[in-house]
Parts: sequence; C-alpha cells; structure tokens
Amino acid sequence: MYACIHAEGNPLLLVECARHFSPRIEETSPDTVLFDVRGLGSLIGEPQAIAQAIANRAGIPVSIALSIDPDAAVIAARGIRGITVIPPGGEAAVLAPLPLNLLSGSPETAELLDAWGIRTLGELAALPPLGVAARLGNEGAHLQQLAQGNAGRQIRPLEDALRFEEEMELEHPVDLLEPLSFLLSRILGDLCARLAFHALSADEIRLTLILENAAPHRCALRLPVPMRDVKTLLKLLQLELSARPPGAPILKIRIELNPVKPRTQQHGLFLALAPEPAKLEVTLSRLSNLLGRENVGTPELLDTHRPDSFRMNRFAATNARHAEDAPANEALVLRRYRPPRHAQVRLQNEIPVHIATGSLQGKVLAHAGPWRSSGDWWQTEPWDHAEWDIALADGALYRIHEDLRTGRWFLEGSYD
Amino acid sequence: MSAPYIELHARSAFSFLQGASLPEEYADVAAKLELPAMALLDRDGFYGSPRFFSSMKKQGLRGHTGTELLCTDGSRYPLIAKNRKGYQNLCRLLTRTKLRTEKHPKPGREAAARPEEIAEFADGLVCLTGDGDGPLARAIRRGKGRECLDFLLRTFGRGNVYAELQRHHDRDEEARNQAVISLARSLRIPLVATNGVCHTQPARRQVLDVFTCLHHKVKLAEAGRLLTKNAERHLKSGAEMSRLFADYPEAIANTLEVSAQLGFELSDLGYEFPHYPVPYGQTEMEYLRDRTRESARMRYQSGYKRARPQIERELDIIDKLNLAGYFLIVWDIVNFCRDEGILVQGRGSAANSAVCYSLGITAVDPIGMELLFERFLSEERGEWPDIDLDLPSGEKRERVIQYVYKRYGKLGAAMTANVITYRGRSAAREVGKVMGFETETLDRLSGLIPMWGWQDPDDTAKKQFAEAGLDLNHPRVRKFLELVEGIQDMPRHLGQHSGGMVICQGQLDSVVPLEPASMPDRVVVQWDKEDCADLGLIKVDLLGLGMMAVLEESLVLIRQHYKRELDLGQLPPDDPETYKALRNADTIGMFQVESRAQQATLPRMKPTTFYDLVVQVAIIRPGPIVGKMMHPYLARRQGKEAPDCLHPCLEPVLRRTLGVPLFQEQLLRIAMVAASFTGGEAEELRRAMGFKRSQERMKTIEVRLREGMTRNGITGATQDTIVQSITAFALYGFPESHAASFALLAYASAFLKVHFLAAFTCALLNNQPMGFYHPAVLIKDAQHHGLRVLPIDVTKSEWDCTLENLSDASRHDTSKDLRLGLRYVKGLRAESAEALLAQREIAPFADIDDLARRVPELHKDEISRMAAAGALNPLNAEHRRDALWKASRAAQYSGPLLVEVPENDPAAPLRPMTVEERLDADYRGTGVNIGLHPMAHRRAEMDALGVTPAAALAGIPSGKPVRIAGCVIVRQRPGTAKGIVFLSVEDETGIANVVVMPDLFDENRLTIIGNRWLLIEGPIQNVDNVVHVRAMRFEPLGYALAAAASHDFH
Repeated sequence: MYACIHAEGNPLLLVECARHFSPRIEETSPDTVLFDVRGLGSLIGEPQAIAQAIANRAGIPVSIALSIDPDAAVIAARGIRGITVIPPGGEAAVLAPLPLNLLSGSPETAELLDAWGIRTLGELAALPPLGVAARLGNEGAHLQQLAQGNAGRQIRPLEDALRFEEEMELEHPVDLLEPLSFLLSRILGDLCARLAFHALSADEIRLTLILENAAPHRCALRLPVPMRDVKTLLKLLQLELSARPPGAPILKIRIELNPVKPRTQQHGLFLALAPEPAKLEVTLSRLSNLLGRENVGTPELLDTHRPDSFRMNRFAATNARHAEDAPANEALVLRRYRPPRHAQVRLQNEIPVHIATGSLQGKVLAHAGPWRSSGDWWQTEPWDHAEWDIALADGALYRIHEDLRTGRWFLEGSYD
Repeated sequence: MSAPYIELHARSAFSFLQGASLPEEYADVAAKLELPAMALLDRDGFYGSPRFFSSMKKQGLRGHTGTELLCTDGSRYPLIAKNRKGYQNLCRLLTRTKLRTEKHPKPGREAAARPEEIAEFADGLVCLTGDGDGPLARAIRRGKGRECLDFLLRTFGRGNVYAELQRHHDRDEEARNQAVISLARSLRIPLVATNGVCHTQPARRQVLDVFTCLHHKVKLAEAGRLLTKNAERHLKSGAEMSRLFADYPEAIANTLEVSAQLGFELSDLGYEFPHYPVPYGQTEMEYLRDRTRESARMRYQSGYKRARPQIERELDIIDKLNLAGYFLIVWDIVNFCRDEGILVQGRGSAANSAVCYSLGITAVDPIGMELLFERFLSEERGEWPDIDLDLPSGEKRERVIQYVYKRYGKLGAAMTANVITYRGRSAAREVGKVMGFETETLDRLSGLIPMWGWQDPDDTAKKQFAEAGLDLNHPRVRKFLELVEGIQDMPRHLGQHSGGMVICQGQLDSVVPLEPASMPDRVVVQWDKEDCADLGLIKVDLLGLGMMAVLEESLVLIRQHYKRELDLGQLPPDDPETYKALRNADTIGMFQVESRAQQATLPRMKPTTFYDLVVQVAIIRPGPIVGKMMHPYLARRQGKEAPDCLHPCLEPVLRRTLGVPLFQEQLLRIAMVAASFTGGEAEELRRAMGFKRSQERMKTIEVRLREGMTRNGITGATQDTIVQSITAFALYGFPESHAASFALLAYASAFLKVHFLAAFTCALLNNQPMGFYHPAVLIKDAQHHGLRVLPIDVTKSEWDCTLENLSDASRHDTSKDLRLGLRYVKGLRAESAEALLAQREIAPFADIDDLARRVPELHKDEISRMAAAGALNPLNAEHRRDALWKASRAAQYSGPLLVEVPENDPAAPLRPMTVEERLDADYRGTGVNIGLHPMAHRRAEMDALGVTPAAALAGIPSGKPVRIAGCVIVRQRPGTAKGIVFLSVEDETGIANVVVMPDLFDENRLTIIGNRWLLIEGPIQNVDNVVHVRAMRFEPLGYALAAAASHDFH
C-alpha cells in the first residue's frame, strides 16, 4: 500500500511528514510526496486510520490517497480533495471521473485526446487498449494503464544529498590566528578526508566565524581548480584571514566545502608545465594581499576608442607565446602615467605653447594634433578628448590631452 | 563668401544604415555653408541620387552623382560619373554585381565588382583613392601602395585619379595621409581633400552610431570600435576644410578642378520610352490615331459623333507631347490581358481620357460623365501621364508582369522600388534594442504606439514613453526618445512597389541600377515611383485588386453553371434589385461599399443611379469627412437643405454634387470657370494645394485665383467662400474618374451578388483574404440570403470552393449550392490537396485507410485536421470523432506487412461531438461555420436575459434601451471619428452596429478587446433607418467557444 500527500506550497513539510511514517519516500513533484506504508497496518490499523494519522501529522489541509498502485495514489491525491482510500481492484472506478489533465502526456497526445473528446480518465480507460496502442504507441498505452490504475511501477526513494560541512564550538573564545589555524586545519582535514572517500574535490570554501558580541564573520573563496589538499586550503584561509581578520574573538567555526568532481588534465609532452594550480593560487592570493585585488591579474585591452581602457582579468597561466602577439613595428611606445597628471597648459591660437605640471614644465617646441576622440554618449559618463603630442626642451616627447567636457588638461605620458 | 571648396565624398542615409542624413538635408546644409556643388556617393547604388539631385537643383547648386563601389578584395572605390557614359557604366556594373548576388546576402557575400570588371566599366569615371576602406589604404597596409596607384592610373587614366586625403583628427589616418602624399607625389597624382561625410551636423553622429549597431546587429554597449571615433564626419564649410588642409592648399583647390570635370547631371539619363512596332510607313501617332478612331466607333457607336471632337483634341495633345508610344504600349498590355482572358481595367486619372476609353484601357466613358481630361494630361504640365491598370490579384497579375519582362527584356523593364522607412513603432523598437532596454519595456512601448486609424492629438511620443513606464527625467530615456525622433523617416531598406513597372527602350540597366527583388523572376530599380517620375521615367502601374479576381472568377462560374455569358461592360445599368440592395445597405462582400461606414450612409444616400454610386464611393473617404463635405451633401440629398452652388457660374460644375465640391475635377473646373484658369493652371493649383503644400506657392496661386475671379466679376464674400472651399478641400479631394472606375466595380459586384449569389460568394471565398469581412461573415450573410453552403467533403470538394447543382429544386434565384473547398481546412497544404485530388481522379477512396495509403503526401496532422473539420465523414465514418479515431490509425505507418490488416474492433469507441464542440471544431479547423450560428443555440438563454436579436433592432424606436449579444466581428476606430469606436456584433439573425464613445472605450478597453462574445447594453439610435446601439455597458459572455477572427481597427 502506498500513500500520497498532495498540498500546494510546502514540499519540505510534506517530506517531513512522510518521514514520520516511512523511510521509503519519493518526492514525486514539489507539491506531491509518495511513500510506502506497507506494514503500518499492524501499528496504526486500517488504511483509513493510516490516512487519518497522516492528515493529523501534516497539520495543514492536504489531500491524501492510499492505494496499492503508486500512480493511482498520486492521481487520486491530486484529483480528489481530502482523504481517499482506494480498495484493491477499485482503482479504475475511483479514478474514472477525474479529469484527463491529471496525466502528464506529451502536448501532441493531449491535443489528440482532446480532439477525440476524451475528457476523463474513465473515458480513456474505456477505449480499446489495442486501438489506443495502435494510435498513440507506448505513451498511449502507458497513459491508459495510469487511467486504469494498474501501471504498477516502483517508487523512486529519496536519497540524502551529500553535504560537506563541519562546525566546532569553542570552549574559550579564540582571538589569535595561530590557534585558529590549528582548529581550521583539523576541520579541513576531516572534510578533505570525506571528500577523498567520495572521490570528490571542492571548488569553494565557505567559512563562517561566530564572534563574541559581533556579527558573524563570513568569507567565501572560489578555487580556480577543484582541490582537496588540506595544506593549500588552510593556507588560502590563513591569507584571507590575515588580510581581513575577524573583528572580535571567535566562539564558533563553521566550514562548508562545495563538492565537485575533481578535474583531471593530461599535459602535453613538449609543453612547458604551468605552475601547479594550488601554488599559483596561493601566490596570487599573496600578491593580492600586497597590491590590492584589483591590481593583480592579466590586463586586457577593451574594445573601445576610449583611451587607456583596459580591465584586469583573473590571472591564468597559458602557453601563449606573448612575444608574437605584440605589435610588430610600433615606432613609438607610450609610457602612461596612471592616473594622468593634471597640467596647466597655455594656448596660443588654440595650440598648446607651454605646459606646467608638478616636476615638468616648459615651452612646447613642436606639436601634432589635436587628435579627437569621444564616445559613450548614451551613458551618464561620456568622454570627449582632444590629444596633442608635444616636444619639450628636455628632448622628450609627451602626450597631453584636454578633457573637452571640463576644459581640464592632463599629461598622459611620455614616448620612449 | 566662404573659401571655395566642394565636398566630393559624402554618404547619405540611402547607404542604408551607413549614413545618417537625408539627401535633402545635405542640400540644405550645403546651401547654408555656401558650397557651390557636392557629390553624393552612396554605397553600391544611386538610391538617394534623384532626391539629392533635385534638392540641390532647387537650392541652385550642382549635385554630382557617384557611388562607393565594393570590390571583391573588400575595398570601396569612390567613383564619380564624369559624363553620361560614366554614369551608364556605373549603372551597368552595379546591375551586374547585384543581379548575381542574393537579395539578402550573408555578410562577406555582398554584391561586389571584380577588379577586371571595374577596369571594363572605367570609362567616364573619376576615381578617388578613398578613405580607410578605400583601395589605396588597404594596399598601403599590405605595403603595396604603389602597385595600387599604378592599377588605378592604368584603369581610369591619368587625370581621372585623385589621391584622397581626409582629416578627422585621427592619428592613424594622418599617418596614412602622409603615406598617400608621398606616393602621390612620386607618381605625380594630384591630391584632393574630402571629409568622407556621413552626416550633416556633428550631433547626427549619434544616429550614425545607432545605425552602425543596427547594421552589425549589436548593442551600443557592445559595439566598441565599430562606432565612430569622433563626430568629425559632418559636412564642413570651405573655410573649415581650408583650415584643416592649410598645409596642402592644392588638395582644396583640386576639389573645384574635379567638380569642373564632372559634366554629368542626373536629368540627362538618356532614357527613352520604348517604341511600339508599327506597320511600315506609319508613325506611332498615325497608328494610334487609326486604332483610337477605329475602336471609338465601336465603343461609342451612335455617340461617336458627339465624342469625336474630344477624342481628336486628346489625340492632338498626345501628339504634341509625343506620347503615342506610351499609349500604344499600355494598349498592348491591355490587349495581352484580353487575349489571355485576364480582366483588366484602367483607373486613376486615365479614366478622364476618351482615348483611353476608346482603346479599352478604361471602362468609364469620360464624355458621358463629363470628366475633365486636363486632370489626366495637359500641355502646360509637361509631365508623363499616369495610367494604373487594375488586374486580378495573384497568379494572373504575375502573368502580366512576366509578359512585360518578356516583351522588353529582363534588363529593359523592372519594378519600381518602395523605400521602407523607420516609423514610430519600428524606430522605438530598434533604437530601444541597441540601447539595451528590456524587451518587455519595448513591447509595452510598441503596444502604445498606435498602428491604426485614429490618433489622439495628445498621444505624443513623450506620453507613450511615460505610459510605458519610462521615466523621461532619466538621461538615458531622454536620449532614447531623442534618437527615436532622430531616425523617424530615415530609410531602412528597399522594398518593391506593389505594381509600378518602369519600361525602357533598350537597356534600362544603363539608366538606373537594377537589383533582384524578393520574388523570383523579378528585378527592381533602385528608385521609388516619385524618383522615377521626377527623372522622367515612365511607369505603368499593374495593381492587383482582389475584387477583379472575384469578378473574373464569378464570370467563369456563371458561364459554367448558369450557362450565361456575362460581360461586365454590358451589365444592365439601372438594375432595380441591385440598387434596392444598395439602398438597404445589404452590401457585405461588395466592392468599396461594404464597410460599416458605407453601410451607415447608404440608407441616407438612397442611390438610384450609377452617378449616385460614384458619389457614394467618393464620399466615405477621410477627405470629404474631415473637410466636412459629407453631412452637407447628405442633408441636401435628403432635401433637408437647399443646394447652393456658391455662384451661378459654378452651377454646371457643382450641380450634380448639389453644390458640394466632392471631386478633384470639380476643383479644377471651379478654377477654370470662376478664375478663367487653363486646364494646366488648374492642375498646378491642385498640386500647390495638395499634400506637399508650400506657403509660397499657395500664396502666388491664390493671388492669381483672386485676380481671375475679380476679372470675372466674382468678388467679396463669394470670392472668399470659393477660395476657402478650394483651400479646405484641395487636400482631400478624390478624383472623380477614380471614383467612377471604382463605382463600376462596386456596381458589378453588387449586381453579381444580387443575381448570382452562389457564384459571387464562391469567388469571394476563393480569393481571401480581401475586403472588409472574414469568410465566416460572408458565409453567414450568404446563408441569410438563401444560399445553401455544403461542408468540406473529401469525396467532393476541390481545393477551391465550387458550385453544385441544386439539391432542392424548390428554391429560386441562386439555384446552386456552394461546396466549401479543401483550402478552408487550416493546415492542409496545397500540394497535399493536389496529390489527394489526383488520386481521387483515378478512383474514389474506399475509406480513410485507403486515403492515407494512397496519398502518402498527406501528413498525419493534415489527415487529423480534415477529420476534425468533418471532411472525412463520407469515408465510412459515423461522425467526426469516428473519422478522427480512424484517421489516427491510418496515419500511423505500420510497415508493409501490416498495412492491409484491418482493425480488430471496427466499432467507433468515441462519442460524437456535441453541437458546441462541432462549432468549436469548425471555427478552429476551418475558420468558418456553415451550421447554425452559435448564438442560435443560446437564444433561449438570451431571451431570458432580455437580449434583442440584431434583426429586430430596426423595429425599436430611437432612445429605447436594449441589450444585444453576439460575436464581435469588426472593431474599428477610424481616423476621422475622433476616437469613437465602432463594433459590429453578429448573431444568428444578422449584424448589429454599436457605437462606443472614447471615454467608455478607455474604461472598457480590456473587455472590448479581450472578448469575442459580448453582451452590450445601451439605447437605440435610429436615424434615417440607420440603426446603432449606443453602448453604455459591456459584459463578456464568457464563452470559451472559438470564433471567426475579427477585423480590427481600420
């Protein structure tokens, strides 16, 4: 005998309720749970009593159906409000008046059945089985069995999802990194051993530290490659915590690892080996701590006319031969000042004749320009520049620009 | 005076998404900047050249013609026509490249000329070396600059190649300029400065950027370096260009030198209309005179003597204007149609011509109807005449078009183009897309921009934006609105005009580049009909008219089934039954008089003669309605108001329209009679007052008009009234000749409907979609008139609807039944039906299995659709569901072994459809219903609700509140009705008309638009037997039943 509970909106509650009665539970859909209630007769009594017990346990209005056929129970629970107990052999009769849309057939089959004027399960059940099979194939035959309440399938019991998380409540608050590292190492050791047992690795660590008289301290580290090396994971956590230490003594530690399948990679025989991912990640974390996260990575020029537009991408070792990518015959190379330096520029006939900026000042001996670029006019921050290349008495060539929106001048860089 | 400079390299919006200003705007700005001349080089064509040329001419400037030609190596050659030879070469080269390329080529496969082809057609051209996309820039990048210049010198000849310099304040460009200068100096090639112009003003750069995104199908935020670097590609003055090129003054001076070399003007196309082959020793004119006189005698018979002076006068004018060939060629097309049995009728101003009538080009006798020839042709105007031929739409019209191609050669005739421009909805959607607005927002906005009729004057783009939830205080939204307004009316792509054909003596591809059209076997010129007319290219409009096809098919059916030979030209002119039907507004399916507005006027108009019908066709038009002509006319017609002809001298002109000017011809005659204008001057007046009215021209003409009237003794208030009525009316007048041509068709359709209902309905159903009503309404109307409509039957139906002999001999008149054709089974393909009919011809089908087996072309769902529509019932099926049951098995392929095995249990397991289910299946499966109207099944329920049937409304006194209910078949919000909505609601007794006031419509918009079955309450309005219900309350009937599609918002 199988029981089915159907209610809108609270799948967890349904599963919880079902667990109280049976270990073999199927989450048929978010609003429907099916479970095996065989053997409950001796504990609770008649099917009606079992159904009532389930209803009482649920505590919210639910539809419950009991049947020896799992699908019949599901259909009846979905189609009939309240409690339905289907006696063995009575499935077809109970299901007969229910509407056809309780079956989930393909849209084409549903359309055809609708054209046939089949509106209830009883009407479908009454069609000649051979005729149905000849017209609708396996799907039709299965739907008809469902309508007759004799599909006779096995249920698909739920399995617990694998979770890799550990918590440790501390007897005394910890406020130093070293003892904390010791504890972290222990927890990570356990978690990584479990990962190894399931042949899994982690691609993210989530650390939560419950603090004394302060809001919890949380951090999440995404790993470039899945790994389960305790030392590396610990080092990464240490670097993170030293860069952003918690603001109060720690009362409780919780670590959660996101399990993924480990990545296997075969390297080419003649290719230079890239640094080991774990070591690379640790090095990048160290650099980030020193220089700021936004200043570490691989620069990439952006596809725009806006001068000096680039972004930093996360560093990834590649085997590309950079020398070949460089422009072949650039006559001049610009050494940019980032950010550009403010400059005072004197003009004559709209042409710069003198520049003064911090350490640099002098008469403009020669010039080329203006070179104009503007864009992002649809954005709130458009740009409009007029650039000049100038030669000063120090023998060097410089690039300056006027921001035409503000009228301010900048020294952008010098040509090598 | 600005420093002398001529811009030789500019692209307009006619480069389709690669230029951001219209040719007319360039002409205006060029005039302001005092540029004496300018060259327009649109990409791969002369799309914008006619507009550019004529607008430059208006400004007193020279417009040079050229193109940026794409070469197979990817470079773009800026080429300018030096003389006619050069222009013709470019036309032919462009035609060659376009015709070997698909209409919509994939990127990288666009029409392009091979270098050797450029050499072949290089004569008469000036070549600039181009900008970054030019041949020289590409060659320099590959280190082959010198070779490129050598090739250009060899190809175009020294003196015709100029090294082009552009300065847009760009470092890379300047580096290239230095390379070009050095190469040019070493080869002694002169420099020339251009600005590679893409727009008139710097601000237009934003439109160009939006176009670039549309062109590349990317958003602005993702377009990156596809966008322009700055806003420097605008038209610049000589002073500005001289400043830019102060270090190379010769580059500026050379622009004048190049311009001086360019002798070609677009007015000098060398176009000639084809000569008509006439017998040896005769001129075209002599031949035309002979043919006209000969046919006029036959056409006018005893009236020939009266008609002769007019015919001779027309022939003299045709002779003077050297148009004999044109008339002969149109006559030739008409003869082809006649020989092929294709119905043809000339319309438009040609119907004013007795020569056209005599030659059988038009069907209205202009002398009998006192039409005005000057409206068609006048000596003063010096324009080509305009003859439009109405043909049956579809395959027959295509045959005529193909005849013209065959007769004048593939490169001797082509369709005119139709420039598709950005309009409210498309502009908002596309700009919104490139600016990255969400699709839902754009959908909402599109929904608010009306596509139909009436537009609230307060319904501005700003309001629509606000209603769509876009905050106009946000800069991005403001920019969006600005751009939407900025791209309004800019060309988007080139379409094909529905019927205009240009014909040429010899090679049309030397006159204008030709392109493939979307339809196979058609080519299209790069200009629209106005451009063609401006440049003197003669066009013949071959227009498809659904009603012509209906009339033609009706005649065939009448011949086959009634054994009667009808000639539309010889129909009884004053058939009382036909006029009775018209007076009763019983006009569903009739040409031009079937709309709700027509039906509301007919009972007041009470037409009794053909001329009444001409007026009827012309009066329900935006012109007379907006010009407030309709009500005075109807009041006078009903005797409620006395006719007033403004002045006794105008009596002959206005008498027949009771003193109300309704037709353009009357406007011309008023000017001729009251102010002694000549025919040509009067036509000039009409044009001055027309849609593109110019204040200046109007003032000049008004002065002349008043002077003329004063001379004739018409002064004071009468003069003012006449001037006012001309001014108010000129915008909207409808040509009388056109109305007369349409009235002929309207009369013919009315006559056929009244006397040969079965044939007429059958032809109507076979030529859908057309007209005002859905086939379901046409069928119900025919059934009300006693026609028996038989269901689709796979054993009897053809693809088209057909007539069958009367099964009940007791019925009179129509005496035929109409059998619905297989074409009405939705989803059944014509080729499947063809295979089915071929098999049926061999042997009848034994049952559904037999059908499925013998017609493997039928898809599974096609068999099911036929079964659901009841078409398979005659194949041993007890009812539709049984047919569906059998069809489902038959359509399953069971393999050769089992194919003959019969079903174990042949009894039908499915219950028959209920009446409602059958109705639903009919509407869903065929779109029509031949059984009882759905409302008939609900009459008892309706009676209980106090609902009055549509047919009973006429008997209810005005003002009494009623309830009506039925299916909404038409929802209309005409532009002339100030926001009032009209609904037509059908029940089993007929159609009720409902008027909804704008406020009520706004309150009930969702109920009215979202429901097909409505119950409506309101008082009856019965004026002159025109019955309306003035809606006060709406209630959806809540039927889930499918219904025929309604015809909304015209």
